Amino acid sequence: MAGQGVARRRILKILGTAAVAAQFPGFSKWAFACGHVGNAALPIKPAAYRPQFFTAAEYSMVERLTDLIIPSDATPGAKEAGVAEFIDFMVASDPDVQYGFRTGLTWLNAYSEQTAGKKFLELSAEQQTLLLEPLAYKNKTRAGLDAGRRFIRMIREFTVMGFYTSEIGFKELDNPALKFYSESPECPHKNDPEHRHLAQANS
Amino acid sequence: MAKKIYDVIVIGTGAGGGMAIKTLCEAGLKVCALNAGQRLDPQKDFRYHRMPWDMKFRGMDDPKRRGESFGYMDNEYTKAAWDHEIPFTTPPGMKWMWPRAKAVGGKTNFWGRSSARFGDIDFKAASLDGYDVDWPITHDEISPYYTRVEKMIGVASTVQNRPSNPDGSYLPPFNFRCLDRILEAGCNKVGVPYLPDRCAQLTRPHEGHPACHFCGECTTGCDVGAFFSTPYFLLPKAEATNNLELRTDALAKNVLVDEKGQAAGVAYIDRKTKLEVEVYARAVVVAASCIESAHILLNSKSRIWPNGMANSSGQVGRNLCDHLYGESARGYLPQLLGQPSFPDHVADSTIAWMPRWQNLKDPHEEKFIRGYSVYPDGGCGDFPGFATDLDGFGPSFKKEIKRRYPTPVSFGIQAPSLRSGTNYVDLDPEVKDPYGIPVARVHFEWDENVLTMWEHSKHVCAEVLHAAGGEFEGSGDEPEIPGWSLHETGTCRMGSDPKKFVTNRFGQTHDVANLYVCDASVFLNCTDKTTTISILAFSLRTSEHLIENFRRGEHKAA
Repeated sequence: MAGQGVARRRILKILGTAAVAAQFPGFSKWAFACGHVGNAALPIKPAAYRPQFFTAAEYSMVERLTDLIIPSDATPGAKEAGVAEFIDFMVASDPDVQYGFRTGLTWLNAYSEQTAGKKFLELSAEQQTLLLEPLAYKNKTRAGLDAGRRFIRMIREFTVMGFYTSEIGFKELDNPALKFYSESPECPHKNDPEHRHLAQANS
Repeated sequence: MAKKIYDVIVIGTGAGGGMAIKTLCEAGLKVCALNAGQRLDPQKDFRYHRMPWDMKFRGMDDPKRRGESFGYMDNEYTKAAWDHEIPFTTPPGMKWMWPRAKAVGGKTNFWGRSSARFGDIDFKAASLDGYDVDWPITHDEISPYYTRVEKMIGVASTVQNRPSNPDGSYLPPFNFRCLDRILEAGCNKVGVPYLPDRCAQLTRPHEGHPACHFCGECTTGCDVGAFFSTPYFLLPKAEATNNLELRTDALAKNVLVDEKGQAAGVAYIDRKTKLEVEVYARAVVVAASCIESAHILLNSKSRIWPNGMANSSGQVGRNLCDHLYGESARGYLPQLLGQPSFPDHVADSTIAWMPRWQNLKDPHEEKFIRGYSVYPDGGCGDFPGFATDLDGFGPSFKKEIKRRYPTPVSFGIQAPSLRSGTNYVDLDPEVKDPYGIPVARVHFEWDENVLTMWEHSKHVCAEVLHAAGGEFEGSGDEPEIPGWSLHETGTCRMGSDPKKFVTNRFGQTHDVANLYVCDASVFLNCTDKTTTISILAFSLRTSEHLIENFRRGEHKAA
C-alpha cells in the first residue's frame, strides 16, 4: 500500500537528515528537539549552548524574552523548543537584522534602568511583564516608545517563527502536516454549511 | 565517421517538451532531448516529507541568499532545481521575477496543478470585445487533445457547466473542508461561483500511478508521482521506446541553421565541461518555456536570419503576457475559532476555485474586458503566519494563536494582462551570461485593464468574506511582482499571417518549416486559466503534426 511505503520512507528520511544535521556544529536543542526517532537513533549529548552572535548577557535576555512571549504553561513553550538558539543562529546568519537586535537589547536595558532602576534581567517576572506591556500592546503604548515597540515586534516575530517551526510548536497547534490519508479529508458538519452552530458555541 | 543526425531535437523537458518527447519517441522518431540542468532523484533530491526542524534554516533558506532568490519555491526544499547561474535583466523602472526550473521536468516537478481548459470565450475573445486578435483554433478542435491529456495525467474535478470553462473528464474531486463550505455559502449569497478546482492530483490510482496520500507537500515535489510531472508520467514512456537520448546539463545556446535557412540542429553549452557542443537533427522543437524559447531564437542569428531565427515578422519575443497575482482579501472565519485542527492543506494549493464570473453574458458588462479567477484558501497550514500580526505576548498570546489556527482565509486573484506593444523580451545589448551568451531582457508593466480587475477582485472578495460571516482584515497593497505566477505567455504567438505571427496554427514556425514551438510562447494571451494543461494539449497537437510531416516526407535527412 502506498501509505505504508510512505510512512516507512518518512522514518528513513528523518534518520537520514538527522545524520546529516549531526555534523553541523552548535545545536543542543533545536535541531534535535524532534523527539524519539532521531534521539533513539543518534543520542546527542545536550551541552550548554554557545551563542554564535549574541554575547552571554545578550543571549540571556533573548532567552528570557522568548520565554515571556511564548511561555511554558500548560504546554511547553519557547524555552523547551530552544527558540533562543534558533534566534541566535538566524541572527548570526542574517547581517540585515543584527543591528536591530543588538540596539534593541541595549535599548531595553536602558529603558528598564530608567523606569525601574535595574537592568531587565534583574527585574522580577511581574516587573518584566509590566515593562513589556506598553511595548507589546497597541492600546497600552505611550509616546516615545517607538524604538522599543519595533524591537519587541521583531523579537516576537522571530519567536513565533522559531517556536511554530519546531516539533514542540507543531504539537502545540496539533499541526496536521505530513499525515497521510486514503481520501481527502472532508468537513464533518454536513448539516450546517455556514457552520452557525460553531459560531454560537464560540460566542 | 559521419556525424549523427537525430530525427528531432527537443529543447526542454517541462510540460511542453516532455509531451513532445514522449509523443515523438512513441511514433518511432529518434529524439535527442536537451535539458539545462540535472535529472533529480526524487528519493534523494526532493526534500518532501521533511519537517522544518530537519533543515538548517527551517526550510526558509539562508537569509544571506534572500537577494538572489528566484521565487517562493526556491527554498531549502528544492535547492537543486533552480537556475542561479544565468542572469537576466530588466530596463530601469521595470521588475520581473523569473524562476527557471532547470531540473529535468522543469516546473512540472512542483507546479500548482490547477488544470482548467481554455474555452471559446478565450479563443474568440477578440471577436467578443474587439481587443487584439482571435486564436487560430476553436475549442472543438483542441478538445480531443485536452481529453487525451486529462486521461493521461488525471484531473480531479466535477462537471460544472460554466460558460467560461469547458468541462472535461475527471477523477472524483477533492472533498470540501469546513472553510470551503463556509465560503461557498458566502459566495452563494453574493452570487459568485465557488466550486471544486480542476486539480491534477490523483484522488484515485490512475494509469499505473498511485493515488495521492494527501500529505500536502506537493510543492516540494511528490515522492510517489501522485500528480503529473514529466519525470513520472512522460519520460519513462519515452525511455521505454529506446528512441530517446536525454542530455542533461545541456544549456541550449542557439538553433543551428543550414544554407537554406532551415534548422540543422542545436548548439548547447555542456555545463560540466563548459564547452560548446553541436547536435544535429532533421527537425527542432523549442520548448524551453516562454521567455527562454524566445531568448534562444533571438540568439540564433545568422546571415539568413539576422534578427533571430523564424523572426522575419519581428514578433519573436513580442506580446509577452502574464497573470497578475495578489491577495485580494484576507481575514478569518470566527465560526472556526478554537476548533480542533483540520488537515486543510492536503492539496497544498487548490481544492476550490472561483472560476471567472465576469463579462460572461456581455463582454463589456464590467469596467474591464475579459475576466479573472480567484483561488480561495486557508485553514490550518504549515505555519501560523497570522500570528506575526497579533498583538501582545505571554499566555494569552499563545492561547490566541492556537484559537485562531483553523480560521485564516485568503483569496488569490489570477488575472490576465492584455497584449501590449511595450511588454516584450529582447536581448540585452551589453550583459552576457558566464558562457558569453547575451542574456534576455524582460520589459513588462501591468496594464490598466488588469489593474482594474485587481481592484474589482478586492471588493468582491471582501464582500464574500463578509457574507460568509468572516472578519475582513485587509488586502495586498500591491499585486505580486510580474513573473510571480510563472504563467507567462506570448513571445512566439500562433496565427495564420506570417507577417504577424511566429508560428502557424500548429506551432510550426512560418519561416522555418522544420522548427516547432511547444510551450506557452505560442499562446495569444494567458486567459484567466493556468497554462500547464493547455501547454500539454497544444504540444500533443503540434507533435502529431510534426510526426505527420515526417510521414509525408517533409522533413528529410540533410
